[in-house]
Amino acid sequence: MTDPVDLAPASSAAAPASTPSQPTATPSQPLPIRDSKSATDPAQQDKKPKGKPAAPATASGDAVAAGGEKVLTPAELKKKAKEEKAARRAKEKLERESGAGAAGGSAPGGAQGRPPVTPKKDAAGGASQKGQKAPPPRRGSGPGIVSHTPVVEQKKKKDDKKVAVFGHLYGQQRRTTIAGAAKEVHPAVLALGLQLRDYVVCGSSARCVATLLAFKRVIESYDTPPNNSLSRHLTTVLSHQITYLSTCRPLSISQGNAIRQLKLTISSIDPSTPEASAKTTLCEFIDGYIREKITVADQVIAASAAQKIQDGDVIVTFAGSSIVKQTLLLAHSEGKRFRVSIIDSRPLFEGKNLARALANAGLDVQYSLMHGVSHAIKDATKVFLGAHAMTSNGRLYSRVGTALVAMSAKERAGGVEVPVIVCCETVKFTDRVALDSIVVNEIADADELVSNQLPQQVTGLADPGAHTPAPVDPKKGGKAAPKEPTPAPSASSRASSTSPLTEWKDTSNLQLLNIMYDVTPAEYVDMVVTEMGSLPPSAVPIVHRMSTNM
Amino acid sequence: MPSTSVALTPGLASFLKSLNTNPIDTSIENLVSLLKRRQIRHSRSCATATAYLLLRVISACRTSEPVKLIERVQSVGRRLIAAQPREMVVGNIVRRVLGLIRDEAEDDRDAEFALSEAGSESQPQTPRGFDDSSLPLDRDMLRTEADRAASRPPLTSMFSLLSHPVEDNSPASTPGTQSPRGFPGHGPGKDVRAEVLEGINEIIDELDQVDDQISSYALEHIHSNEIILTHTSSTTVQKFLLKAASKRKFTVIHAESFPNNHDATHATVSGASPVDEENLSFEAFQKPLIALGITVILIPDSAVFALMSRVNKVILGTHSVLANGGLVAAAGTRVIARAAKVHQTPVVVVSGVYKLSPVYPFDFDSLIEYGDASKVLPFEDGDLVDQIDVQNPLYDYVPAELVDLYITNLGGHAPSYLYRIVSDHYRKEDISF
Repeated sequence: MTDPVDLAPASSAAAPASTPSQPTATPSQPLPIRDSKSATDPAQQDKKPKGKPAAPATASGDAVAAGGEKVLTPAELKKKAKEEKAARRAKEKLERESGAGAAGGSAPGGAQGRPPVTPKKDAAGGASQKGQKAPPPRRGSGPGIVSHTPVVEQKKKKDDKKVAVFGHLYGQQRRTTIAGAAKEVHPAVLALGLQLRDYVVCGSSARCVATLLAFKRVIESYDTPPNNSLSRHLTTVLSHQITYLSTCRPLSISQGNAIRQLKLTISSIDPSTPEASAKTTLCEFIDGYIREKITVADQVIAASAAQKIQDGDVIVTFAGSSIVKQTLLLAHSEGKRFRVSIIDSRPLFEGKNLARALANAGLDVQYSLMHGVSHAIKDATKVFLGAHAMTSNGRLYSRVGTALVAMSAKERAGGVEVPVIVCCETVKFTDRVALDSIVVNEIADADELVSNQLPQQVTGLADPGAHTPAPVDPKKGGKAAPKEPTPAPSASSRASSTSPLTEWKDTSNLQLLNIMYDVTPAEYVDMVVTEMGSLPPSAVPIVHRMSTNM
Repeated sequence: MPSTSVALTPGLASFLKSLNTNPIDTSIENLVSLLKRRQIRHSRSCATATAYLLLRVISACRTSEPVKLIERVQSVGRRLIAAQPREMVVGNIVRRVLGLIRDEAEDDRDAEFALSEAGSESQPQTPRGFDDSSLPLDRDMLRTEADRAASRPPLTSMFSLLSHPVEDNSPASTPGTQSPRGFPGHGPGKDVRAEVLEGINEIIDELDQVDDQISSYALEHIHSNEIILTHTSSTTVQKFLLKAASKRKFTVIHAESFPNNHDATHATVSGASPVDEENLSFEAFQKPLIALGITVILIPDSAVFALMSRVNKVILGTHSVLANGGLVAAAGTRVIARAAKVHQTPVVVVSGVYKLSPVYPFDFDSLIEYGDASKVLPFEDGDLVDQIDVQNPLYDYVPAELVDLYITNLGGHAPSYLYRIVSDHYRKEDISF
């Protein structure tokens, strides 16, 4: 589309330069020429090369200049005609763009014609189509509009797919690749970001530990630039890493708490301290923090929670909490005989790894999904739950579904309530409060819900190639969630035949919601086992204050 | 209809096709094995299959002796129930057919015996007279109409006293259903068998229309801009919501009921072709809710509690309803109903009367069926399957106190009223036949 514009001045400029293909270079004929051009591609291509000398300069200025250099009287005419054409062109462009969508497809002649003409310009034009940089003013306006309309449409569509009540949680799209990450981001953090995103590192404590370890490497490889003090500059370096991590997956409460402590420690370092010793201090702090707040804390919690387990107990637990696993394994190693009933949920199936670990250790494990919770709870004697966080109003913020399990335990028919015990390190305590699961939550990619296991299994038999990724479970620290293998090629190959949801993004009015957490009311929780003792949920704010003041 | 049942996947469709060509005993055997193999498993499919089978059984009977008919139906019924005791609708249909035969038999006797005897004899029948007013499809209404036409004095209790004026209005209150039309009065020597066949046909009609009848109450229960939570791909619920969607705008949150019904739920939600052949194949293809501009939000079952605080109403389908007001429904229903109760959200159960069972459960666990464990843990995790005990319950028992309202084809009822409907539909002597 942009071609006619360039051609107009080009042709007029080229006419005096004796071009054989332009016998009608008279100023009064620009319009028919251009019309014919748009109709016949070969003519365009012939003319364009001749326009070369004029083209490299910015289009509009060049055109005017070319007109001015030639004859004065027709110059005005030309200008007029140009203006008309500009308007017409803009109109055409809009029409075509809206019709064809892609800019390249609608103007094949231009795409073919230009490369030989002005390589520079073309590159710029290509970039403009992708990156929306506006090269020359006129060109820029064109692609600008082009790329704008689809974006708006896409946005509309996306909004349509956002559940209105959770609109505030959608935020930015989760990062899909490391492309575009700030250059300050440390490779260790880059890798961690992807692991977080893919739930390879999953679970509040695991994420916290992994983050701290990655930051330790950042600190180790850090050099204070001249004219800067470590205590001031390192925090800005870290904040780049943090921003990157949070684009991969929103930070957990434990991560936030740890980062806050780390920053506090950094800023409290005396600027006069030599860099090497400051870095050692920080690394020691990180090691100490992990040891104190998580490793040892877990051991203390497991020891004290395991005491609550008695012979003959039936323990119900939900999803895969590392601390609950530790507790159960410890109790088992102490020789207690009890049964564990694991309740799991889509789409992460975190309980599977817990079940595997427990079964390998020789425990008696029963496994069912969310739909079987009322059956599992029937003969339960205790419910052990892990936590993502404990809020200041005593509520348990944990993997979505926890609230249902806790509720079932408290509402058992016959009036006998099953004690609900939450195992939670104090690093997961927060001063935030939550009343429901809607204000504070995390939205995960809804596509995780689309792929379901059954179709995979069925087609897997016929299609061994697609089958292979399924059993591969990334297991890291026992916390890894078996992310459902949704390889794009296999998904597309059986799209139509398997899940009716594969097209959900194109189906209007249909929304999928995949939230990560829910809030369990404080009255469903009987006891919170922490490394500082076993508390009622109402003690959470006090403990939190104590642990942050220390 | 070519009876190439071999070519068809065994199920309701193949059974109905083969019914007319196969001998009776083969058909009974066929249905028994289909039930045993769970190849017919949805409430309505079971009910339809049972009704058609009994229709055949009775029409093939060479006698009009009510006693013999009852014996025959009982023996067939026992076999069917033994095949799949947890499909309670099978028993329900058998009981209703038995009730039909008994009613016809009593009618005959009424005609023969002196009026004075009718008092004691029709005692158990009086509640049925009351019921007729609200159940248009029940053929008893025809009988009572005919009775009145014959100026028989059947007023034997206060119940019937009250019921007769109501009857006059009943056709108006139930449009679209069969109203009593010119029906030959029962002579003393009328054919009981024909009457019973007529009655069974009406039961079959009821099974066909029940969802539409239930959905006619939809606008009374769903207001604009509501947020409704539902579970499983129940056609009754879908029709109910669709009816409401034709007039009102609301939002539906659909829990996907993984792992037993999620495929069908996904198909229902997205309007794709039904995955579950048996459940939907004989339904006219219906539009999904999204086509009517209703926003449907699909959530995993675990997110129910998180969203319940924003839900206005929970509408649930069911597998069967028990006389105490409790219900047996797809697994996961109980926890949803409980969450709704905790959030003070009303729970509405939509169910045809045919699902209403006179069985009173003393042992709830016996009602629960466990399904294919590989749906919970696929065989890809074979190592795990060997080591642990995987459970896949298919049903939940939901106690009556978790349900606020039942909507049946007769209207809305409190759970505490259901025993009344039970006694209207089934005769005492048939409850345990």
